[in-house]
Amino acid sequence: MSFRPRRALAVFWKDFLDLRKNRGLLGSMAVIPCVMVLVPTLMVWAYVRNPDDPSLRVMARYYEVSVQSADAARFLIDKSLTDWFGLFLIMPLFIPILISSSSVAGEKERRTLEPLLASPATSLEIVVGKSLAALLPAVLVSFAAFVLFCISVDVVAWKLVRGPLLPNGMWIFGVVVIAPLFAFLGNGVAILISARVGDSRLAQQLSGLVSLPILGMVGSQVAGVLRAGAGYYAIVGAVVLLLDLLLLRATIRLFDRERLISRWS
Amino acid sequence: MSGIRVEGLGKRFGTRVAVEGLSFEVAPGEVFGLLGPNGAGKTTTVRMLTGLLTPTWGDATVAGISSRHGGEDLRRKVGLLTEQPGLYDRLTGKENLLFFIKLNELDEDAAWARALGYLERFGLKGREDEPCGSWSKGMRQKLAIIRTLVHDPEVVIFDEPTSGLDPDSARTVRDCIAELASEKRTIVLCSHNLAEVERLCQRVAVVKGRLLALSAVRDLRRAGHALQIKVAGDAARFLPALAALPFSPKALVEGGLLRVLLSDEEQQPEVLRALIDAGARVYHATRIERPLEEVYLELVRA
Repeated sequence: MSFRPRRALAVFWKDFLDLRKNRGLLGSMAVIPCVMVLVPTLMVWAYVRNPDDPSLRVMARYYEVSVQSADAARFLIDKSLTDWFGLFLIMPLFIPILISSSSVAGEKERRTLEPLLASPATSLEIVVGKSLAALLPAVLVSFAAFVLFCISVDVVAWKLVRGPLLPNGMWIFGVVVIAPLFAFLGNGVAILISARVGDSRLAQQLSGLVSLPILGMVGSQVAGVLRAGAGYYAIVGAVVLLLDLLLLRATIRLFDRERLISRWS
Repeated sequence: MSGIRVEGLGKRFGTRVAVEGLSFEVAPGEVFGLLGPNGAGKTTTVRMLTGLLTPTWGDATVAGISSRHGGEDLRRKVGLLTEQPGLYDRLTGKENLLFFIKLNELDEDAAWARALGYLERFGLKGREDEPCGSWSKGMRQKLAIIRTLVHDPEVVIFDEPTSGLDPDSARTVRDCIAELASEKRTIVLCSHNLAEVERLCQRVAVVKGRLLALSAVRDLRRAGHALQIKVAGDAARFLPALAALPFSPKALVEGGLLRVLLSDEEQQPEVLRALIDAGARVYHATRIERPLEEVYLELVRA
């Protein structure tokens, strides 16, 4: 199968243009980074507001018995920020799901699939173009949210910490390396499911289930069962990289022109 | 330009045979009608011709390229107007066309100049910067036709091209199809509008899972030797005399004229003799072409 970058870029151009004009989808996409920045900022603010609250010590000692009363608020801030990265990954995972479900299953719903498949573009070029149009916004939004997140957390925590908390090495590694891997995972799952189901909503709902393991992971961190850190997230990243490679292979194999045309056009 | 050559083409989906044993040729410059009821396998045939589906049996050579192995080279040479316009509603008319210009890796300025010519011809010039979602059904159909032609294809397949168009626009489309054929492009027209098929097509294939008829439109209309006879007085009183003939021709009275369907030209003198023997004063007898619709319905109902 040949690959002509110009045709893949044409698909990207069209999908990106369509996304820019899709206010509903842009609105849904905007909610996620807002929550991702606002919630941890409020958490940090709550710890900073009354760092001597005795209940903070109780909470901190649940996770680490050696924590001193004076360090409880700082410990909880550090732990929250480390744990929050797990939830932050939902953003690069979920944004491509929103975009790809709408773009692949949407082609079927709008009856635009047949003219597209009748063009010279190969299946691989279509998948690459659509993936770029979903991955690029996800990564850009994640980067932008991360910058806002650092600023807002640092501003709120300054009173207690007297210095910048973020960005730290773990977060930079996570946002630059692990977040794109999660974006790739979300996109792959969404394209694969969209190619097999009839409508974009169902594709979104089914693809969204991929975020459940992350919720379980963060829940375990909060419960103290798992202890998050740079090494922990590196392992998670390696597992997701492996899944990405498997998905890439499956997507190219299953994004079959004949199957798509005979089932959905 | 080498037209279309179809040999023993067939497609099976699971255990269901959608179409089988199709063989026909379409020459460059010809407008060829592909007729058949819903579910007859027209769309499957078109999809095999455009390389979207791989045939289970046989092969089709379109513009010199095998549909079985042609892939992108084949799709570059074929323009397909699908039954639904299939436009991106949020994109403007211009953006919809530019997308397909880019997909075909064309020189954007030259292709857009050609597109502008079509936009003007179809009365869409000045509207190209509006989102297609706000357009009427007819405008959308016209833009889909322009999209089909924007890469200057050798072979053009139209599925219901005038669907949703007002008479004036439908005429513009028909003129455009005739002009494309005059440029030696190969045209396949799938339509339920038989009057349109009669006007545009030189030959037609009637399919219903298999090939029912393949003929020039005129020959198809002449099939069955219909005879129109003007007799003095009430024509209906001669129907029993015709029914008594050994070959019992189908006869009816239409507008005071007797219309008799014969299976063989040799039956013509027998009919006239029977009428004269029954006392009819025959003013004239004319061999007529039957409406394509009548022939078509007879074929697909058989």
